[in-house]
Amino acid sequence: MPPVPEKDPIVSKSYAAYYVIAMMILMVTLFWALWDESFGQRPWKAFQHAWKDRYSAFLNSARSKSSQSEKEVEQDSQYQQLKQAYKDAYETATPRRDELQKQISDLSAKILAVQNVFTDRRAYVNALTYELETETSASGRKSKQQDIDDYKKKKATVEFPDGHRQQYNFQELEEAYNSLKAERTKISAELGEVLKPVTEASNKTSAYVSDHMVDLTPTQIDGLKKKAADWDAQIVQINVPEANIVDRCESCHMNAREPIRVTAALMTPKGEKRPDEYAQAFTSHPEPGLLKTHDPEKFGCSPCHQGNGRATTSVEKAHGNYEHWLWPLFPKQNAEAGCQTCHAADMHLAVGDVGAHISNGKFLFRQRGCMGCHRYEGYDKEPEDLTSIAQQMKLFDQQKIDNSKTAADLMKQADAASSNDEANRLNQEAVALRVANSKIDGRIQQLDFQTHSLMQDMKKIGPNLKDVRLKLNRNWIPAWLKKPTDFRPTTKMPNFRLTEHQIQTMSAYLWQSGFTDALPKQKPGNAEHGKQLFETRGCLACHSVGEGDQMQGGTFAANLSRVGEKANYDYLVRWIHNARERTRPYCPYEKKDIGPEDYAKKGLPYQFDLEHSRCPNDGHELQVQNMTVMPSLRLSEEDAQDIASYLMTEKKEEPSAYAQASYMDDPELKEEGKTWIRHYGCAGCHEISGFEDEGRIGTELTYEGSKPIERLDFALFTNVAERGGKNAEPITDPEDLGRLPEGPAKGPWYDHKGFFEHKLAEPNVYDKGKVKSETEALRMPNLHLSKLEIQDLTTFLMGSEESSLPESYQYKPGDARRDIQEGWWIVRKYNCVGCHQFTPDQSTVLMGMKHYQDAQEQLPPKLLTEGARVDPEWLRKFLSNPALSTTDSNRNGVRPYLQVRMPTFSFSDNELRKLVRFFQALSQQPMPYIPEQVPVLSTKETDMARSLFSSSAAPCLKCHATGDPQHDRIATAPNFLLARERLKPDWAERWILDPQAISPGTSMPSGLFRRENNHWVFAGPTPASFQGYDKDQSRLLVDYIFQLTPEEQRRVAASRGRSQASVQPRNKQKQTGIRASAAGSGGSR
Amino acid sequence: MNKKLWAAMFLLGLLGLLAGCSKKENTNEEQTTSPSSEMKPAANATPIDPATAASVSGTVTFGGAAPKAQKIDMSQDAACKGNNVAETVVVNDGKLANVFVYVKDGLGNRTFDVPKDSVAIDQKGCRYHPHVLGVMTGQNIEIRNDDETTHNIHPTPKDNREWNESQPPKAAAIEKNFAREEVMLPVKCNQHPWMKMYVNVVKTPFYAVTGEDGKYEIKGLPPGDYTLAFVQEKMGEQTQKVTLAAKDSKTVDQSFKQ
Repeated sequence: MPPVPEKDPIVSKSYAAYYVIAMMILMVTLFWALWDESFGQRPWKAFQHAWKDRYSAFLNSARSKSSQSEKEVEQDSQYQQLKQAYKDAYETATPRRDELQKQISDLSAKILAVQNVFTDRRAYVNALTYELETETSASGRKSKQQDIDDYKKKKATVEFPDGHRQQYNFQELEEAYNSLKAERTKISAELGEVLKPVTEASNKTSAYVSDHMVDLTPTQIDGLKKKAADWDAQIVQINVPEANIVDRCESCHMNAREPIRVTAALMTPKGEKRPDEYAQAFTSHPEPGLLKTHDPEKFGCSPCHQGNGRATTSVEKAHGNYEHWLWPLFPKQNAEAGCQTCHAADMHLAVGDVGAHISNGKFLFRQRGCMGCHRYEGYDKEPEDLTSIAQQMKLFDQQKIDNSKTAADLMKQADAASSNDEANRLNQEAVALRVANSKIDGRIQQLDFQTHSLMQDMKKIGPNLKDVRLKLNRNWIPAWLKKPTDFRPTTKMPNFRLTEHQIQTMSAYLWQSGFTDALPKQKPGNAEHGKQLFETRGCLACHSVGEGDQMQGGTFAANLSRVGEKANYDYLVRWIHNARERTRPYCPYEKKDIGPEDYAKKGLPYQFDLEHSRCPNDGHELQVQNMTVMPSLRLSEEDAQDIASYLMTEKKEEPSAYAQASYMDDPELKEEGKTWIRHYGCAGCHEISGFEDEGRIGTELTYEGSKPIERLDFALFTNVAERGGKNAEPITDPEDLGRLPEGPAKGPWYDHKGFFEHKLAEPNVYDKGKVKSETEALRMPNLHLSKLEIQDLTTFLMGSEESSLPESYQYKPGDARRDIQEGWWIVRKYNCVGCHQFTPDQSTVLMGMKHYQDAQEQLPPKLLTEGARVDPEWLRKFLSNPALSTTDSNRNGVRPYLQVRMPTFSFSDNELRKLVRFFQALSQQPMPYIPEQVPVLSTKETDMARSLFSSSAAPCLKCHATGDPQHDRIATAPNFLLARERLKPDWAERWILDPQAISPGTSMPSGLFRRENNHWVFAGPTPASFQGYDKDQSRLLVDYIFQLTPEEQRRVAASRGRSQASVQPRNKQKQTGIRASAAGSGGSR
Repeated sequence: MNKKLWAAMFLLGLLGLLAGCSKKENTNEEQTTSPSSEMKPAANATPIDPATAASVSGTVTFGGAAPKAQKIDMSQDAACKGNNVAETVVVNDGKLANVFVYVKDGLGNRTFDVPKDSVAIDQKGCRYHPHVLGVMTGQNIEIRNDDETTHNIHPTPKDNREWNESQPPKAAAIEKNFAREEVMLPVKCNQHPWMKMYVNVVKTPFYAVTGEDGKYEIKGLPPGDYTLAFVQEKMGEQTQKVTLAAKDSKTVDQSFKQ
């Protein structure tokens, strides 16, 4: 008996349990791995499954709605006509079609019969020919040739489908075959001709349906349904290798580009109240128009929206909302930040509502003076451009000297040259250098003009503080500095949180460094008349009066409700008369204000303006204007006095009520004040004596959005911001809390958006809890921005990124679109949009005012097609002198009947050039403009045209000004005599035909001409002379207007006004005068 | 032992099955999805029974001294003859004309057919006749020119589309309509600045304009609680509530003050 091994592990112990456990773990892992591979890592598959079901269900209902509306369209009489036309065409074509089709099928059968025999025999002939070609002996060849000829002569029988037989030799067979085929081609062509009207009519009917359906047609929806039904789960991606874009966003956002509009509500399953994650993902792109100009196949998604386009493993990863991704998806409220990444060079990006936020953010950055402390590429370029021009000039000067030297040297060498050839070559080189120098002279001259322009273009957002002594109530200054919003809640001046001591020293410096020149004494004016002028001349397009609910007017410039408390009357009159008038010119070269003594030294009159802008001491370009955007309204002295008198009545308390601030004259405070002014960067927005060359004190913000989050100093709130939850909101001041666009923080806010919003709402929030000295504390003032303003500025800053896209993706067009881009900077700079409409979707400040509600004809003209309307050369002249006169300037040059005044902005040549090009580009007009030749009318044509011009059915001169003051009191349209120089003839004709399409709401009515026999004919009665006139009568009228002379206009006016003239006694003048002013002040009732 | 093993295998199999099925659950539930924004059919209210229809009428008066009518100067156009007094506030013996009266509230979501007949605006003596017009949304307005001069008709609406068309003497009538409700929609002629009228576009046929005697009447109303609005071009809107029982004919007077 073998020994029983004690405790044999094999028999005594089972490992089955372990194996089972191990296997279970293995199996679970395996299944988990399989599941994870196909679903866990691919959440988009679940999205696509849900999409397939929901989208198909949606399409089904859309399909039934669509066939419903298709039926409606088919009810139209026009459709019925088309349908009838189709039926008629079909019926007309049918007999002939049937006949032809029968012929074709018969022919085809015949061809087939011939073909069978023919191809057989042709193959045999080909075989014999091959043998002949390869035969080497001459005799062999001969016999082969014989064989071929014999074979070709042999007749073959063709049995035709109708049973009859015919015999053909080879050649006859070939001919028969070819002629049958030719006949079939001919008949087929005829069939095509016969069917042409039928297919045309059919195309027209289906085109009518798709043109008149608001949504897609049922057929189109069927296409989409099929696509959805056949969909297999797969990654959908856009790949743009040259820009390194791989965007898989559409793997979940399946409907982003579908041609039918899908909302989250439409994708929500029945019974659920709120759209779930899927429903939100399946919406269409909200702005399909944007995708048309930004083709996703070129731009992808992430260049605008950011996020991690490659990630597909989770929504958070794909949206880039995790700490390792530097470009998280822009949140919905700031989605327009994406525009800035490529459109940094644009000032205006809005098309309707789209782009309104980013455009406003960009505008606010300038308007609220942010650029005074923070450099931002593209903003406030003038000082930088001036420096660069000065450097260029230096280089050019040096180059000129070098060139002359080299030229002299070359000529010397030439004189001593060994050969004539050599001498000539050297002389030629010297000549070329002299020409080069002349070119440099031209260039320097241009740079000189540029300097002049740039000095003119340079503006400050705040007023010139060198004038404080002349313009302000001294005691008001400290009260203002204390908290500007207490005095004027809507002011642009921010709150610097100054201490009493700082205020005292700063006001002392400002007061003591100000000009002490004497101002001319002004006579008191008529405040009542001033108020009327203030309300009608257009001041309210920029300024406002009244506070709170009572406020009316624009927000571009200051609210003037309490101006009477602070202003000095004499200064105010000068300011209203011409705000650009400076007390003393400033010489940037000498860095000093030039006074009469400097002019006297050189024996020059003390005169400085845009025409006299050279420094008497050294000939350098002076700053001769106040650096304000406020234009001149070309008012008379008296009118300026009246308006100033009215404004002085705008006050809540008496100027004398302010506490005496005699410390402002204390010279000991002055020096300390200077350091505080420097510390707070006041010179960023104001012109201050001694700070003319002061740099910006803030950080550059051009790429602030892509600054690593670690470099944004959340100070003591870093942890709180990261963690979120309770007490996540560091701001406690209720006013500042109210500025946060989305209310107090609840969740984590450790991102750029959170940083910017908190910083803008309460700029010193990151000082909270810190122990800092006065000079170390954060200096950024509180700009008392609204929620919306903070949202827009945050959007702007978030988009201020260093783009990873290739340079070509930046919107920097080289063509006319660049003119549009540059023009908008000027248009927004001077607030042209306060009065004028540039696009139909933009409203102006004045349009919204009650005053114009009943008197729309008193609104400034719309500029929707300005570039197509006016001659650019005329426009340049008009923009530099809107009175179109140097002597009679207290009026509008084109529309003297308007109460509101087109101001003189003193645009520099630079800005004039850009503005003219801007308008031309906006209307897609080529530059330079070559005027269209207007044909000279014959006497007969002139008579005919005159009959239209003076027709009682189109009483042109009833509304249009003629220059006769009596008549012009009631005129509401420009003088025709301006047309020739001002207008483009083609535009004038379009205007006469349909003015409402060019300037909606205009007083000029439509329907003066109607279309008849492909020509425009006058809608009223015409004299017999028009019989047989087969050209456009509208064009005749335009040609006549373009050659209208003052005499002719007077004659026509006299002839139509005769009956009136007889009943127009002297006292009539008074009446019309009253009515005109009544119309001006609110309607003509 | 064996039993345990089998049990374990069975369990595993189950697990696998479960994993296999779990994805289906996701997709099945949305089978019946259908869009939730289908057009709701307009709730059809019960038709108005003529037997129970009520009416409301009254007189609109003007409190205080009648303002002196402003003269207008029409001499700029010889073709403009006749009455040359502004119609802003027309008072006869304390009765106020040209007040638009309509049922502003109380009809719920009843809809009414648009009358086939058009209403007319005449331009005669460089004035509009009538000065205040009531019309239903979509109803045709026929504009005629009886003057020997050209007019242009230029409505300046808030909620409708603006247009401006020329109409020479003896030209064919212009036909237009307004699609949306708008009270006191101004219409003017740019060539004769004094020419002004108001069109009132409402969705119901229950409106009236007070005559020279200040009287108005609205008939055919179903019994119910209504808000009547009285609108005057210059003095604005005033409202009054009125309850009408079947076959009622109530009097609702209203007074305006300047």
